Amino acid sequence: MRFHSGRPFTSKDVAFSIETWADPAWAVQFQRTAAAVTSVDTSRPDQVTLGFDHPVSNIFDLLDAMPIIDEDSIADLKAGKSYVGTGPFEFESWTPNTEIEFKRNPDYWGGKPHLAGVDTKIVTDPQSLVSQLRSGQLDAITGGSNRDLEALRASRQFDVEELKGAEQQVYVGANLQNPQLQDVRLRQAIAYAVDRPRVTNDVYRGAGYPINVPWPKYSPAYDERLNHRYDRDVAKARALVKEATQGSKGATIPLEYDASNSDTEATAQIVQANLKEAGIQVGLEPLDHSQFIKKLIGAKFKGLWVAIHSYAQWTPSTLAVSAYPFNAEHNASHFTDKGYLEHSNAAWQVTDGTGPEAVSSYRDISDDFLDNLFLIELSVIYTQVAHSPRLHGLSWSKRQEIDLDDAYLSKG
Amino acid sequence: MTRYLLRRVPSALLVVAVASVLVFAVIRVVPGDPVATLAGPDASPEARAAIRHDLGLDRPVTTQYVAWVGRLLHGDLGTSYLIGGDIGTLVRHGLTNTIVLTAAALLIAVLLGLVLSLVTVIADKRWLDGLLAAGNTLAVALPTFVTGLLLVLVFAILLPVLPAGGVPPDGFVARPDIAVQYLLLPALCLSLPTAAALTRFLTDALQTQLREPYVLTATALGISRRRIVLTQALRNALPSTVTMLGIQVGVLLGGAVLVEAIFAWPGLGRLIEQGISSRDYPVVQVLLLLSVAVFVVTQLLSDVVHAWLDPRVRLGGES
Repeated sequence: MRFHSGRPFTSKDVAFSIETWADPAWAVQFQRTAAAVTSVDTSRPDQVTLGFDHPVSNIFDLLDAMPIIDEDSIADLKAGKSYVGTGPFEFESWTPNTEIEFKRNPDYWGGKPHLAGVDTKIVTDPQSLVSQLRSGQLDAITGGSNRDLEALRASRQFDVEELKGAEQQVYVGANLQNPQLQDVRLRQAIAYAVDRPRVTNDVYRGAGYPINVPWPKYSPAYDERLNHRYDRDVAKARALVKEATQGSKGATIPLEYDASNSDTEATAQIVQANLKEAGIQVGLEPLDHSQFIKKLIGAKFKGLWVAIHSYAQWTPSTLAVSAYPFNAEHNASHFTDKGYLEHSNAAWQVTDGTGPEAVSSYRDISDDFLDNLFLIELSVIYTQVAHSPRLHGLSWSKRQEIDLDDAYLSKG
Repeated sequence: MTRYLLRRVPSALLVVAVASVLVFAVIRVVPGDPVATLAGPDASPEARAAIRHDLGLDRPVTTQYVAWVGRLLHGDLGTSYLIGGDIGTLVRHGLTNTIVLTAAALLIAVLLGLVLSLVTVIADKRWLDGLLAAGNTLAVALPTFVTGLLLVLVFAILLPVLPAGGVPPDGFVARPDIAVQYLLLPALCLSLPTAAALTRFLTDALQTQLREPYVLTATALGISRRRIVLTQALRNALPSTVTMLGIQVGVLLGGAVLVEAIFAWPGLGRLIEQGISSRDYPVVQVLLLLSVAVFVVTQLLSDVVHAWLDPRVRLGGES
């Protein structure tokens, strides 16, 4: 096995990749897991032994997500000048803001790829993406609007894949420092009032399913019973609002969302209408993407917000230790709870992420989550890839990366 | 003239210097943070601090400004934080694409305007006048995002004869035949409102000319309407039309922003939109300053030409 540069790949490269991944200077996923690796034995070039101070249930998630980094070209990688890896396609050229070209790596360890190369075009307008697919200019697209993807599927002229196993989840967040949101009964009212099936069907055109718990259905943490705890009940929501506010008309709660994402915008509008039915007045506040991320990181939302999170598709403990909205130590909701922190660490520090000990901790986390409702889950959603029927063998990673190792194009 | 220039150039430089301070400050006042956009929500505070340090954003704002201006004076436009790459290359690519698109749209608008006006005026048929007026209204009233989508639907999807978007893969020079195919739809889409305005203006100007006494004389001499229009009326109608066309160039450049998005055309409009939305400070600063500099230079050149043509202007300050 060799790098694209021709240099042999050895266990030292794995050690270097893990060290780099754990370096706080890099903004990467699973950094805490990489940092939990305390030693790497590379005495044999074809074998790596990792050492830890405590069991880590999501170590295989790290090894799945982390790319192998070439030490010789890391400076160029950082500068965006090259990408030397061990994958099926080699970086060939990059025209900023326009395209990236890759060519086949004939020495790929998994076998010579069928495709001679891959041209990745940067198309920022979703409509233009779909048009270029329809006209045959592009073979596959990500980022089309849900309505367009639904129409493509219905036309039967294109294949639309739901990236199962790489789900995301749309949720309503609550800043618990907002006095109106401090009463859990009001947050429960929100959870009862939101129309999850409508969000799933109207906004995401059925590419997903409604959810209460923060896990997809195949997750070892998923519990069908808990998933119906806040099924829609507007009468119950109204009663809870009345109880929490003692009949007084509270001030309008701001609901912020990323206006550059038409899906979260539409979701926010549905949530606003749902909450109005329950007697909660909400004012929509659109933000641009950069502003939204800054507020999310800084935990500066005024009241409620609508956003999308990931990480639930991995080992469940990852959600509470790596996904910022759920992070037990510091999160955008300002939610702190000793029990939640303990349960999160307990779920993380087990050897088998699917064993009974882990599952018991996940149940505790689900209970913490549903009892406190610092986030209110709405729907699991699938990222979708549309492609022409002549493209075959497309697959993807849990991180929604398109995998073209075995892909090929047929005639016609 | 030299003294006039010595008087005007420093004030132009001062405008550019003040503008550099303003564009540097304005983008930082707008809420948002390039580090947040670059790092994403799940990054650790250490990762964000490291990125902030790498980008030089942890230094005092005045130091950042001085460093930026210093680099600019050495011809270094900097590096984009988020789009990636050298800004000089990004601007060069974007500018080339935008100029090519705008020039092609201008050419189509002029050809369409000229042909349609001449045909209408020479044919002198009421039904043709009505048809042209309806077409003009439609071309002006339909927003470019509608005409763009219609053009794509018809010519790229239903009759797949032209690409739906993007730039020619081999550039504009190596394969001009391919380049024209890529240019046709976006340029046509961008040109339609200008072509409509031009047709209307030129038709009116030609009809006004046809009411002049010299046309009556020419007609009395037995010269055909077509010859009168082509050899005399058109020449007289053109100067005012050219002035109007100059104004339309600005409209075309503005319209290019939307057309670039519809047709995935990586021009300056798309670059500035991406720069602003991601708070890519260096890109936005350079593009805004560039637009100020272009305006100042144009203004200066026009003043110089004016002064050269009219001695009262250049002597006015000395008297």
